[in-house]
Amino acid sequence: MMTETYTCGDHGALVSYLYDECTPAERRAIAAHLVICGACAEELIALGGTREQLASWTPPDAQLGFQVGPEHSKSNILRPARWWRQPMPAWAQAAAAVVIFATGMMMGAVRSVMQPADRPSQGPAVARSNTSSPVNTSAAAPITRADLVALEQRLRSEMSQPHASNQNVAASPADARILERVRVMIDESEQRQRRELALRSAELVRDFDAQRNVDLARIERTLGQIDGTTGVEVAQQRQMLNYLMRVSQRGQ
Amino acid sequence: MTLTDDELVARSIGGDAESFNELILRWERPIYALAYRVIGREEDARDVCQETFLRAFRALPGFKGEAKFSSWLYRIALNLCRDWIRRQRRAPVVQMPEGVEPTELAAERGPVESIEELVGRRQLSAVVEEAMALLPEEQRTAIILKEYHGMTFQEIADMQGCPLSTVKTRLYQGLTVLRRHLEKNGVALNRVEGVASSKVAGQITPRLVRR
Repeated sequence: MMTETYTCGDHGALVSYLYDECTPAERRAIAAHLVICGACAEELIALGGTREQLASWTPPDAQLGFQVGPEHSKSNILRPARWWRQPMPAWAQAAAAVVIFATGMMMGAVRSVMQPADRPSQGPAVARSNTSSPVNTSAAAPITRADLVALEQRLRSEMSQPHASNQNVAASPADARILERVRVMIDESEQRQRRELALRSAELVRDFDAQRNVDLARIERTLGQIDGTTGVEVAQQRQMLNYLMRVSQRGQ
Repeated sequence: MTLTDDELVARSIGGDAESFNELILRWERPIYALAYRVIGREEDARDVCQETFLRAFRALPGFKGEAKFSSWLYRIALNLCRDWIRRQRRAPVVQMPEGVEPTELAAERGPVESIEELVGRRQLSAVVEEAMALLPEEQRTAIILKEYHGMTFQEIADMQGCPLSTVKTRLYQGLTVLRRHLEKNGVALNRVEGVASSKVAGQITPRLVRR
């Protein structure tokens, strides 16, 4: 415990004064001594100057970004996020999402184009039914009820023809299996694309939030450092002013 | 809403890995800076930083909250640094900056800082780093905890497991060695010319001495 009288050469007390970690009584005692002791005052100023220069030492900026895995039970591996795990820039994430979405749309479009092609007999059958329309051929003859019934039956039979033609196509079991597999693959692909899109969107939101948190933390930290540095400078300036005032008072 | 360290610790103990990741985000830079300044090697400082959080994560269920979470982390990091230094069995190798890259300068330069000022700052930083490497580990650590992490004498004493008076002595001796080294390298002279406070000091001292 330091008394209110400061002993010249008490380095511990001087350090307490330097870092402003002493009681007001101790501070007064040291301040009073500094006015009359040039050696101690000079030493204090030199130590303060050294502290000031220490502020220039900054560690190199390092890529950190350590994380613990979400599954505690497995490994709890703490590792720096690798480049493929680190949050992508927002523009890259948006571009990736657009590409995935566009791919999904294209797959859907391709499928819708392929579907009529799966039924090649349908088009010509319909065309044939148009060209062989009984309305054209019997334009001059009066239309009877029997004609209408016959037309209805004919249309019904033609409408059911696609199924028949499909069955004809399916008559070749190998082709049918291939066709079915292609459809299943396309379905799976679409589902996969949709899943990936949803996943990617969720990741995008999460990464964006994470990046925003990181940025906010950095800004906060930088502001804290600036505050700290400014605080030290203000304290030193105040200290210098005190010296000046004391000296000028003694000079008078 | 920003959660406190204690709240995040409680959630982490409850199994929320994201809360622990938030703690990492908050503290990895200070811990890395501490490790770098103590051991002086970037890559090893990163390893120490990583190992600190790994150990903290594993030991989290045993953390009773008697000390601040940050103090607990600092203690783990310092122990790891100490182990690293023991393993090295020699003074830490200081990575001196290899020349000054103009592109880095341009990127680093603040709006009011000229290239010359920035180069001067980088050189000063290198000299300070070199001077810090000369100090015994205890003195260096005490100065780092005080100057760069704003700890009180008592906190440093707790961290280093020594009396408060020893902390003050370490700080005084360390600062004195640094001062001499910096003066020897002409740093103090330059600073005296450039800094108002030091300039004032140069005018006051002769009058005080005469009295």
